[in-house]
Amino acid sequence: MTTKTRYFVVGSLLTVGVGLGIGVVAYSTGFATSAYTLQGGPEELQFIPANASLVAYADVHDLMLSSLRQRVRSALPDKLDGQSDFQNQTGINIETDIDHVIAALLPSTGDQVGHTPGTGIVLARGRFDQVKIEALMREHGAQAEDYKGSRLIVGAIPDGKADGKTSVSVAFLEPGLVAVGTSALVRSAVDQKTGGASIATNDEMMGLIRDLATGNAWAAGRFDALTSQAHFPDGVAQQIPAINLFSASAHIDSGVRGIIRAQTRDDESANSLRDVVRGFLALARLQTSGNPDISTLVQSLQLGGTGKSVSLSFDVPGAALDALQSLHKLGDRSSSAPRQ
Amino acid sequence: MATSTPPRRPTYVGSVLRILDLSLGEMLWSRRSAFMALLVGLPVIIAVVSRLVSVFAPKLALSVNGESVSGSEMFGLMMWMLYIRFIVPILGVFYGTALIADEVEDRTITYLFTRPIPRGAVLVGKYLAYLASTVLLIFPTVIVVFLVMVPVGGGSLAAMFPALLADLGMLAAGLATYGAVFAWVGARIKRPLVAGLVFALGWEPAVLLFPGYLKRLTVAYYLQGLVPHAMPPDSGIGALLQAFTELPAVAPSLLALVVVTIGALWLAARTVESREYVLEQ
Repeated sequence: MTTKTRYFVVGSLLTVGVGLGIGVVAYSTGFATSAYTLQGGPEELQFIPANASLVAYADVHDLMLSSLRQRVRSALPDKLDGQSDFQNQTGINIETDIDHVIAALLPSTGDQVGHTPGTGIVLARGRFDQVKIEALMREHGAQAEDYKGSRLIVGAIPDGKADGKTSVSVAFLEPGLVAVGTSALVRSAVDQKTGGASIATNDEMMGLIRDLATGNAWAAGRFDALTSQAHFPDGVAQQIPAINLFSASAHIDSGVRGIIRAQTRDDESANSLRDVVRGFLALARLQTSGNPDISTLVQSLQLGGTGKSVSLSFDVPGAALDALQSLHKLGDRSSSAPRQ
Repeated sequence: MATSTPPRRPTYVGSVLRILDLSLGEMLWSRRSAFMALLVGLPVIIAVVSRLVSVFAPKLALSVNGESVSGSEMFGLMMWMLYIRFIVPILGVFYGTALIADEVEDRTITYLFTRPIPRGAVLVGKYLAYLASTVLLIFPTVIVVFLVMVPVGGGSLAAMFPALLADLGMLAAGLATYGAVFAWVGARIKRPLVAGLVFALGWEPAVLLFPGYLKRLTVAYYLQGLVPHAMPPDSGIGALLQAFTELPAVAPSLLALVVVTIGALWLAARTVESREYVLEQ
């Protein structure tokens, strides 16, 4: 074998070896070697169907550690028992076991819309005891089944109608990633493991999500799809602004800082919406002018946006929230005081 | 008086390895390989362009029914359409038919056949050299395409890695089977390239479209049984492909490919052993 041939063979084998090494590392660690870092948004978006009308995200770990949450916890210690109930039922401690969650809603007309029937799915990233969760669900009548190599725990919950129940499933899509939702959507998430059209390939929604990365809680969605599902009375439906898309992002720490955006069908609708919001803001400023703490909150509301885009940003400092809390306590005392 | 011991006749395996060593360099640095490098470079170019488009001009990305096609789907599509249906058969035809035919055409086969090695070992050694050189050409490009293409549009390298391993195994199986079949064709008939091209680009694609048992007389039919990728169910391409897919299970496909490979290679070696090659003056 000549030197030239030897170099070629070594180079070729090195390329294959390095590529396979990257693949092995990605596979064994679940490393997010994907374009999401370029496209924006968490990697779990790949499991959300492309036709989702609402996607929401919460960095649970960040929120649980926020000083705002600590203040709420100290102010309302007896109202957080639901958390321990949830832990008893699922074995999941929200404070320590979950890093972040993504939830999605899909439009539903009858049993099926688009490709995916069903209504909602939640994906939680964290540390879960799969055996314990399965055992607890089995105690409540759930059944385990295999679907394309993934284990699904399928149960049923009442759907609010007189005649039936909705099938819900839990599946562990990857180590540390659990999907909970209607069975059709959880199966769809399992299908997405090998790729396919997901919300990450929906340019319209990803355009919204990319702008939300600064918040530790956000939501984005198609407003028209949600309102069409809400079945408002005709009079109410006509009063709803002509909004196509909306997004909201908040960064919660000692206070709450965020922005709400709406994209209307046309410039005229955007101008109308701005006028409505401007009117409300003027009214709020008038009403709170006598209370400096609340006035700070109202003053932080800033209306913005151009063309079809309308935005409202806000920055509520911790002090303003404390003031709101003390006002709330005063209200409670005055309502509980004996009347003369 | 000194007695000289006659040189030991090399074993069959030794002969095969000697021919493999000799032929590997010849194959890699031939003009044919330069052409093949261009051919296998095509998927890499497509992958790089797709990645650049997804980063810098996402609106121009390939979409089906208004939804962008993810990198994983495109990778699967390229495995189907480019590698299995085109590149692997073409490599098999060009290299496989040339194993013996080139030596005959260049009138150098005499030098090989006058060596104290079995004639069949010449063919087997050249076949292994073909297998090594095509694998060394194709595998790096598949790896590069995988790394560049799959992350486009949200595909996960971790999730697709098992499919990549299956793809590499499938490509190796395809190269082995096509190479063996065309090695036999090259050893058996006088103008093997034309016959090989007709088989790979005419017979196989045509027969796969017809219902019935004829498709079992193709290599592609069994290779498709090994493809781990599912076509997008709601795309036009997927519908077209699925209309013609009546795929065998993985185990029968593998068995069929092994049988065809060993059978064709044995027939090719037997042909080379028994045939009298008349060199044109």
